[in-house]
Amino acid sequence: MSMTSTAAPSPQTGAVKVAMLISGAVFVLMMLVGVLMRAAQGDLLDLDPALFYQLMTAHGAGMVGTAGLSGAAIMWYFLGRHVALTRWVFHIFLALFLLGVVLILGAIFLGGFGAGWTFLFPLPAISGGAWDLGAAAAFLLGLVSIGVAFLLFYLEAGRAMISAYGGLGNALGWPLAFGGSTENAPPPTIIAAATVTVFNTLGIVVGAAVLVVSLINLYLPEFAVDALLAKNMIFFFGHVFINASIYMAVIAVYEVVPEYTGRPWKSSRIFALAWASTLLFVMAVYPHHLLQDLVMPGWMLIMGQVISYLSGIPLLAVTAFSLIVYLKGSDIRWDLAAGLLVLGVAGWSVGSVPAIMDGMISVNKVMHNTQWVPGHFHIYLLLGEVAMAFGFMAWLVRGDVAQSRFTTLDRLGIWVYIAGAGGFTLMFLISGALSVPRRWAVHMEDWLTQDRIATGFAVLAVLGALIFVLRFVGGLGRSSKA
Amino acid sequence: MQATILVISLLGMIAVIAIFLRAISHGATASQSGTVSDNIEQKRSRLIWGLLVFGVIVTAGSLWNWPHDAEASSDSISVNVTGGQWFWEMDRETVPAGKPIIFNVLSKDVNHGMGVYTADGTLLFQAQGMPGYVNKVKYIFENTGTFKILCMEFCGLSHHDMNASFKVVANASGEK
Ligand code: HEM
Ligand SMILES: [Cu+2]
Repeated sequence: MSMTSTAAPSPQTGAVKVAMLISGAVFVLMMLVGVLMRAAQGDLLDLDPALFYQLMTAHGAGMVGTAGLSGAAIMWYFLGRHVALTRWVFHIFLALFLLGVVLILGAIFLGGFGAGWTFLFPLPAISGGAWDLGAAAAFLLGLVSIGVAFLLFYLEAGRAMISAYGGLGNALGWPLAFGGSTENAPPPTIIAAATVTVFNTLGIVVGAAVLVVSLINLYLPEFAVDALLAKNMIFFFGHVFINASIYMAVIAVYEVVPEYTGRPWKSSRIFALAWASTLLFVMAVYPHHLLQDLVMPGWMLIMGQVISYLSGIPLLAVTAFSLIVYLKGSDIRWDLAAGLLVLGVAGWSVGSVPAIMDGMISVNKVMHNTQWVPGHFHIYLLLGEVAMAFGFMAWLVRGDVAQSRFTTLDRLGIWVYIAGAGGFTLMFLISGALSVPRRWAVHMEDWLTQDRIATGFAVLAVLGALIFVLRFVGGLGRSSKA
Repeated sequence: MQATILVISLLGMIAVIAIFLRAISHGATASQSGTVSDNIEQKRSRLIWGLLVFGVIVTAGSLWNWPHDAEASSDSISVNVTGGQWFWEMDRETVPAGKPIIFNVLSKDVNHGMGVYTADGTLLFQAQGMPGYVNKVKYIFENTGTFKILCMEFCGLSHHDMNASFKVVANASGEK
């Protein structure tokens, strides 16, 4: 461990591999938890509701945290190609992250905490006897620890980009976006990383504030925050954080896909503009989570609906569109990494359709908090962020592109994963359309059929994921990118 | 309503999948067809403008009548619905069909969500119940019969057991 930055940029491969190994293992483990929950909803398994809600809390926090971890590792790796990062910061990041995980697991499985990963105020303090205040405090402290880990991460990333590009505005690509100046235009990785750094730092600061208030409230109930304000802060933080994980993971697409297509992914003006608008949209869209909070100002709900829709444009017309143009114009040789990275962008794009639908106030009236919601977000997480993370893992342990082979096992893995995740998420959407509420430990008789079919698909998805992780572990020993 | 939403979403999703599949299968023949054509950027801006225009139309159409209108009128009837861990309280058990009913949704403790369902399990509308606030939602029941209230916001251990029911009757006053 050295206290100084390395002089020349170089990716921190070893630590990133550790982070991806942890991510892959936790993804599979939490997917198994997901299978248990879905099986319990389908009455294939008898889970005590208290345990169901504990598992739901672990699955939500674990998956969101791991999506963040894998996205951060991808960003750190490729940022390391362009700017000199202080290496020990990533070690502290991992350590604080793991400390948070330990606190959260303790809170849930020793303390019985089960208020959901969104810790919606004032539920952590008012458990109706299911858990005590200590468990709630441990959970909130665990999230604080993970928040601090990410703050450190972004501070260092921001520092390195600012010093390399002479200011935040330059790193964000604003001279290119708003002036059309291609001189010293930063590469796509920098524009994306700088954008995420800005919005996720703000998101985490707001999240930390509401966490601290909730913590104090546990022990001093008269110190209460307004429930509507807390809800706004929590959904701002939650929305920004989970989106940041996808926007970080897509950096792998910008950096790796050109190896296959032979065309560099360039920072065009439209690219820089897309990211500039994303910066605004990601932060302004969160009221679409509050469309049934009728005391919210009408203009905010309208903003939530309008920006939900607008957010789809940079994704579809810039990232997905460019990827499609690159694919069409080249004779790509597929392998596991290429397949999963392209799948990630496709899944993200597909998931935006039901997401935008749910962002409409009139649709939201009958879809909000039904299983439509886990339906759409599992599409762009399972088939989006997580696919990109698995793609990056495959790429990390892949040899030279020329020697890389698309084995039968790889193909099998991809198709089993697509079939499993596709069927599983489709069943969520169907359940949502049939008015099944989300986050119910026990389902009514009429809902069981979809639950059971979904459980079968979920098992397939886990099998696919298991293949990807085992391939990664097997490749770790003989990989060239040391 | 829900079936329409599902069908529109599935069509949109299939369209996106088809575009990706075409690009992937096209890639294999790309080496013969030569370089990427110059009109790509033109296509892209057409896509962006198309999406924007489409968005303006859908937004205007879907918000023209404010979906959350809850104004009281001379013939409207108010009901207070209060959620608590883990029960619903209503200050009347019957409401009339054909008249605007304004639901005032409240909470005694944590966040809850009042989801109003038909007897056969279709969600008609919902509103959050939050400590310290009154969320108002208006609905006109066209049919009489029994309706259910399920909880739509996770509120702890017995969230899934928080159900209640009420009756919609033909009588204009809504009394039994
Ligand atoms: C095979 C894979 C998976 C299965 C079987 C699964 C299953 C489930 C189930 C059954 C629920 C609760 C649904 C309900 O509200 O009724 C859920 C919620 C959730 N899942 Fe997954 N899931 C999987 C993968 C993922 C992935 C990859 C992520 C994110 C990276 C994720 C993130 C979440 C989140 C954030 C929630 C919400 C928790 C809450 O409501 O508090 N899941 N999942
Ligand atoms: Cu509830």
